[in-house]
Amino acid sequence: MKKYFLSAVLAILTLSSCNNEGSAVNTVESMKTPQMENFDKAFKSLGDPQNRPTEEERKRNTSELSDRRKALLVPASKELILSSGVTEAELMRKTGGDMSQIIVWATQIYMQKSDEIKKNIKSDK
Amino acid sequence: MKKLLTILGITLASMAYSQGGTLIVNNYSAYEYRGALIANNFSGGCYPVIGTNDPVIIPPDSHIGNGNALIYTNYRDQFGTSLYPMLNWTVSIAANSSNVRPWNHGSLVPGGVISNNTKWSGTKFEMYDLATSSYVPDFHANMTVAANPCNGVMDYFVTPSGANSAEMFVITTSTGLVETYLQLY
Repeated sequence: MKKYFLSAVLAILTLSSCNNEGSAVNTVESMKTPQMENFDKAFKSLGDPQNRPTEEERKRNTSELSDRRKALLVPASKELILSSGVTEAELMRKTGGDMSQIIVWATQIYMQKSDEIKKNIKSDK
Repeated sequence: MKKLLTILGITLASMAYSQGGTLIVNNYSAYEYRGALIANNFSGGCYPVIGTNDPVIIPPDSHIGNGNALIYTNYRDQFGTSLYPMLNWTVSIAANSSNVRPWNHGSLVPGGVISNNTKWSGTKFEMYDLATSSYVPDFHANMTVAANPCNGVMDYFVTPSGANSAEMFVITTSTGLVETYLQLY
């Protein structure tokens, strides 16, 4: 009898740990800051019909994302950088307003924040 | 024979990996990505070419937004840092010369010969629908970044229905940082 009881307890523990895992996966998304969310949306929006590469852009002989499409990423990138405590002046000084530098910097901040969230979730378990 | 052709096709036809920077794959689509990621030399003869040795499988809806993007910072460190660790790479230093190298092989370190002479360049993939357990008709492609002297395929792909698309592009800073993106919508 005791054995059955123990195995039932074990089963419940096992199941509840699965349950936790599910909620942890959800938390990665739910723990994002609004600035991170906007940054995501900006990247995803590159696939929206009006934002796809135009015929002309596709004829360019370069793999570099076009300026028109970089500009779609810049506002959210700036927001994200500023939300990390960087001042507007510092942002301009470090990037010179260069769109690529702003986007790449934001991507680095994004990944760092995303890693931190993952770590926090792990340590909560 | 078909298998051999597929392997040959993946090895030869896809182009795409570079240590010139980080590779980020965002799969925004509802389908599973199954494919190969490749890098090649852009100046002077196309070799070395390096590609993932095992299929890369990225579940539907896996992107930076939910922390599930594929991110390879370089051929070596991806093994410890990426959600999609690649154990072995196929390295060709010349036509008809291909070797399988583990991620920690000396030639694959950042700053090594392979790293310094290749850039992420392409992918060859099929999309798989987990709901129907079948490949998605029309959503498969062989792509490379534009202006790759060693591969003339497109950097942009859209399915006939227009429902899905894929593209590769690069963002380069004046300070020399490079991010290469493969986006699947």
